[in-house]
Amino acid sequence: MTDPLGLIRTSTASPTRSIAGGPRPEAGAPSFKDVLLQNIDEVNKLQQDATKAVEDLTAGRRDDVEGVMLATSKADTAFKALQAVRNRVMEAYDEIKQIRV
Amino acid sequence: MYGSLDISVGGMIAQRTRMQVIAANIANANVLEDTEGNFSPYLRRATMIEPGDPTATTEQGRALGVHVADIRIVEGSLARRYDPSHPYADKDGYLMVPDINPIVEQLNAMEASRAYEANVAAAETAKTMMTSALRLLA
Repeated sequence: MTDPLGLIRTSTASPTRSIAGGPRPEAGAPSFKDVLLQNIDEVNKLQQDATKAVEDLTAGRRDDVEGVMLATSKADTAFKALQAVRNRVMEAYDEIKQIRV
Repeated sequence: MYGSLDISVGGMIAQRTRMQVIAANIANANVLEDTEGNFSPYLRRATMIEPGDPTATTEQGRALGVHVADIRIVEGSLARRYDPSHPYADKDGYLMVPDINPIVEQLNAMEASRAYEANVAAAETAKTMMTSALRLLA
């Protein structure tokens, strides 16, 4: 395999496309809740970075518009991704609420 | 995930720096003295862009981005001009002046501007791609 740019990732992380049954959660693996909370923290950090970058730009402490654009885009996309996950979870919850017992 | 954005930002910063060097060349086209008042005609500066961006925030940006490695002084970029009345003219009436061609600098500036725009377009495309992937998830 030739990969001069090092872009092809041969990931050893949990398979994302699994067949029937799916991967069994290993003992000690972080739960969905932990992963979600960790991601919320990360998104929050990105948002704070973006706010700081914009503040610095307007206050004249930095002059690279490109870097500020990168920070705001990162925060924006990360937040949208988190929102998508949250919507999915809420959708599933609503479905479960509809079940009659 | 943010690799392509990071790479484009590196390209934009490199082209902006290049534009600053071009602006300096144009601005200093008639500079004959240094700050101490000695005769020292301005020498053209050239931007050296190299692969890899050590300041990038992602691994891909560091590996595939670009950065300005050096702003090199072009040695001997001087032109001889006949100007006998000038205080710095030699005994034959010739004077060494910076060899800066406004047409060349303008072309370089146009190229830098186009390259910057190309990087902006690439960054926009990367953002659009990420947004459409998120639409699938939502």
